[in-house]
Order: sequence, then structure tokens, then C-alpha cells
Amino acid sequence: MREGQSSIERLESRLGADWAAIRKAREDTTSRRQDLDHLFRDRNSPDTSVVVFGSVARQEVTSSSDLDWILLVDGSAVPEHKKQEREIERALAAGKYIEPGRSGVFGKMVGSHGLVHNIGGEDDLNSNTTRRVLLLLESLPVSNREAYDRVRRQIIRRYIEDDRGLLYASGAVRVPRFFLNDLTRYWRTVTVDFVYKQRADDDHKWALRNAKLRMSRKLVFAAGLLHCFFCHLDEEASAARAGLRELDLNPLTAYLEDQLSKPPLEIIAEACLNLQISDVTSRNLFNSYDRFLGILDDKGKRAELAGAHTHEELRNSKAWDEVREVSRPFHESLISLFLREDENLKNLTLEYGVF
Amino acid sequence: MRPIGFSTGALARGDFRRALRLLQNHHVHTVELSALRMDELEPLVTSLPDLDLQNFTFTSIHAPSRFDLQAESGVIQILSSPQAADYPIVVHPDVIFTPALWRRFGGRLLIENMDKRKSVGRTVAELQTVFDLLPDAKFCFDIGHARQVDPTMTEAAFLLRAFGERLAEVHISEVNTASRHDPISLNATSAFQRVAKWIPQDIPVILEPLIDKGQSDLDTEIRRARQALQFERPAAA
Repeated sequence: MREGQSSIERLESRLGADWAAIRKAREDTTSRRQDLDHLFRDRNSPDTSVVVFGSVARQEVTSSSDLDWILLVDGSAVPEHKKQEREIERALAAGKYIEPGRSGVFGKMVGSHGLVHNIGGEDDLNSNTTRRVLLLLESLPVSNREAYDRVRRQIIRRYIEDDRGLLYASGAVRVPRFFLNDLTRYWRTVTVDFVYKQRADDDHKWALRNAKLRMSRKLVFAAGLLHCFFCHLDEEASAARAGLRELDLNPLTAYLEDQLSKPPLEIIAEACLNLQISDVTSRNLFNSYDRFLGILDDKGKRAELAGAHTHEELRNSKAWDEVREVSRPFHESLISLFLREDENLKNLTLEYGVF
Repeated sequence: MRPIGFSTGALARGDFRRALRLLQNHHVHTVELSALRMDELEPLVTSLPDLDLQNFTFTSIHAPSRFDLQAESGVIQILSSPQAADYPIVVHPDVIFTPALWRRFGGRLLIENMDKRKSVGRTVAELQTVFDLLPDAKFCFDIGHARQVDPTMTEAAFLLRAFGERLAEVHISEVNTASRHDPISLNATSAFQRVAKWIPQDIPVILEPLIDKGQSDLDTEIRRARQALQFERPAAA
């Protein structure tokens, strides 16, 4: 990567594109992160980290973004953790941050034990899967990050260490299938839960949720798949692959940790730059996502989406029309990216992504 | 066979003479003289000529772990005295306020990686900044600290890879969530074995679990340390 330039910027420059909404979202994210760092600058607790999720972590902050957070606890349980949880709530409320949704997944303290140990099995509840997967794919520690780094690395390690195919397979392909399957399971769960919430919440914010499902949720899943496939395709993962042959898991752990710290759009841009992906596909992907962020950043359109849930309201919503206009090419471009253009990526997607 | 011994502070807090007697009774030939608290340093260094250390093939001194900038030159002055001239000195990076003052110890200075409470010296990146300022210094690898910072032992492996050529001493114990040094557990043993292959057999290993109140015993901990540092085949770091 060129010094100081992100992959998105390089792609934008190569295509002669102008992704103003993506740029603005990144700038707004920087400002939001500075505010959050300032808010929690005096925290000093090696056993806990404040972790935020969603748009702040994806570098996609728009004008009405809410803030999903947890107090991640990795250490002895002490009553003071509850006090810390309340202090975070108070600090965020005082900072006028929009509260997390009503699902109960966020906005509370969460111990590391379940996140690390309950991958699969009946104790791996929806909330646990969501926190674990998002901790890897779209999270950011605010202030001290020690507990965050420890827990994330342990989760990554579990995906690698428990994947016997990855460690012992005789073939040349090195894709962390256990990790990939968990990401796929999460994505499918999100899509199924969307329909569940449609009933349970009486279509509350249906259009806004559907827009996010078509775009940002799908983006996160696509980036997750690329993380897995890059383990095999990326030149920078060559030391990690060599390490696996010696059963040295440390280089792959470090590689994945580094890759997972990048926002999803950046990973998609890396794929567009480094694989055999056409300019048309790259342009369509980023143009549509840029337009999507523009819609979300427009308070009027966002409010319209949040309020539209009956068929009548959806038919009359220009904002909803726009969402449909951008989500179709986005979806098509992702299919081109994974299944039509780069032969290696296509083969991996067919081999690992379907059955 | 690895040279495995004890920190005097773990055996008899504040009483290095008693700790040395205990070690001699158990035929241990590796020792670290602990002066973790400031008030232990001067009496220890003054006593060095009188101590019977001839049975020890490796002896190091652990400098105090907590003092401020004002006390730094005094600590260095005591450690620079002729009595201490033959001994490696283990120091925590967070008390190196003026690196230039510590350079006089050259390769006798052993920088230790830190536990999670500290904001320096825990990772390769953090320790590298210390070694950049003290290029001749050696490395004291605290495997318990490394595990506490990263239970997967990935950072431990990277520490050994980055600073393996400087490695001069190993500290071993279970470091619990409150950062206290405890007897080595089965989980710790299993974790330590993951990186044992990158610790050469001749590097002195110092046990640090506190056993001064009967938490474990000397022979048991030596056996556990030996088991924790076993590996099947050597590998390049």
C-alpha cells in the first residue's frame, strides 16, 4: 500500500471517481472517534475495554448514526464492573449519543468467556454470535484496548486452532473454513432475524433495516468472506501459510488480526485493486455504496426510511426508491466480484462459499 | 538440562540469606537476588562480597521495580558499585527514565517484558523502543507476563522471535489476573510449551511463584517449570 493512502483512495484515484459521501463518512468517523477517545480518556483498566460497533468501526458515520457499545470484561468478576457500565451509559448520554437498539445485544457489560468458548453449541446464543462476529468484523476499542486485543486474538486463535482441515489438510489451499462457516452462519442469521423482527416489531423501521441489510450488513459479510479467502490469495499472507505448514499458528493469527482491524470497505477496495476485478465492477460497487451513505447522511431521507413500513408508504417513498436503485447494482457487483471475474476467487467461492 | 533456579524474593520475601540457604539445600545452581523493593537494594549489594554464591553457576540481581525519576540516579549508583560489577541486572522498562544513565551496564542490563498493568514493555513494539535506546541491553523474557498480556502466546512467540538473540534469562510463574506471581498451573504449562522450542536449553530460568507461605514447594515448582519448558523438537524462531 502506498504511504499514507488508503486502498479506497487509491481505487478512487485509479477510476477517476469521486466518492464524496464515503470521504465525508470517514472524516465524520475521525471526528466521532476523537470525541469518544476524549470521553473515555481517563479510563485505565487492563481487564476491561469499551468497545464500539457499527458505523464508527466501519468508518461510515452519518448524521444520525447510533452507537452500539459493550463493556468487554476479560478478568476477575468484580462488582465495580457494573459501576463502569453505568458510567459509560451516563457519559454517552451526556455526549448526546444515540442509544443502541432494543435487541439487548449491546449497551451492557459482556464477559469474555462466552465469546471465546461458545463458538457453536446450544450456549452460542444469537447475542453471543453477534457480539463475537462483530467483535472481529466491525469493532473498535475506545481508550485502553488491552482486554479487547486479548479477547479478539483468542477468538481468532480458536478459529485457527480448532480447524483441523486448515492445519492438517494435504492440499495447497489454506482457507479457514471454521471461521468462514461461522461468518456465513451469522450472515444467514441476520437475514432470517430480519424477517423475525418484521413480525416481532410490527415492521418498526422496516425500510431502514432493509436498506442496511441490503448494503452495510451485506458489505460486512462480503469483507468477512474476503478475509478468509485472502488467507490463501494474499501475497502478504505467504508467511502465514508457510507457518501453517510448520504448525506455527502465530503468523496467521497476526495476519488475520491485522486484516480484521481494517474497515470492510477497505477490504473490498483491496480486492478490487489486487485481484482481477474489472473497473466496471469496482466502480459500480463503490458508486452504489457512496450513494447509500449519502442517503443515510440525509436526515430527511433517513427519517423517511425509518417511518416507511406499509406497502403504501414504501410505494410513495422516494428514499426507498433510491435504496432499491443502489442496492441492485451493489448486489450484482458483489456477485461479479466473487463469482465472475477473478478465477481464483471464483473457485474459492464455489468451493467454500456454497456447501 | 535447563538451568532452573529461583528468585530469592519468591522463596523468602525480603530475606535473601534465608532464600539462598533453602536453595543450597535443594542443589539449585541458578538464582536471582531480588531487590524488588527499594529498601532491599542497598543491603543486598553491600552483602554481595560476603554471600556464599560459589555453588551458583548463574546469579543475577533484580533491580527495584518501583521508584521515581528522583531516585533513579541513586539506584544506578548502588548498582554500579564494585560489589555488583559481575552480575547481570534485571530491570523493568517502566523505571528506565533516563536511558543514557543505564547504558553504562551494557550487556549486563536485562530488560524484562511487562504485565498487562503497565503501559510499556508488554509487546514487541513497546519493547523495541526500549532496546532502540539501550542497544547493548539483553532480554529477560517473563513468560508469565507474556501469557497474561496474550493468552494465545502469539505475542510471546513474537517477543522471542524479535529479541531471541538478546535472550539472557527467563522468568517463569503463573501470573494471575491480579498480576500476582502464583505457582505454575496446568493451563500455564500447556501455554508455555507452545513457545518453549524458541528458548535455548542453556538460558537460565528463574522461578518467581510466591511460595513463601506454603503455596507450593521448591521441588514441585522446578519440576513444573521443567515440564512447562519441554518441547519435542527444536525450531528456528
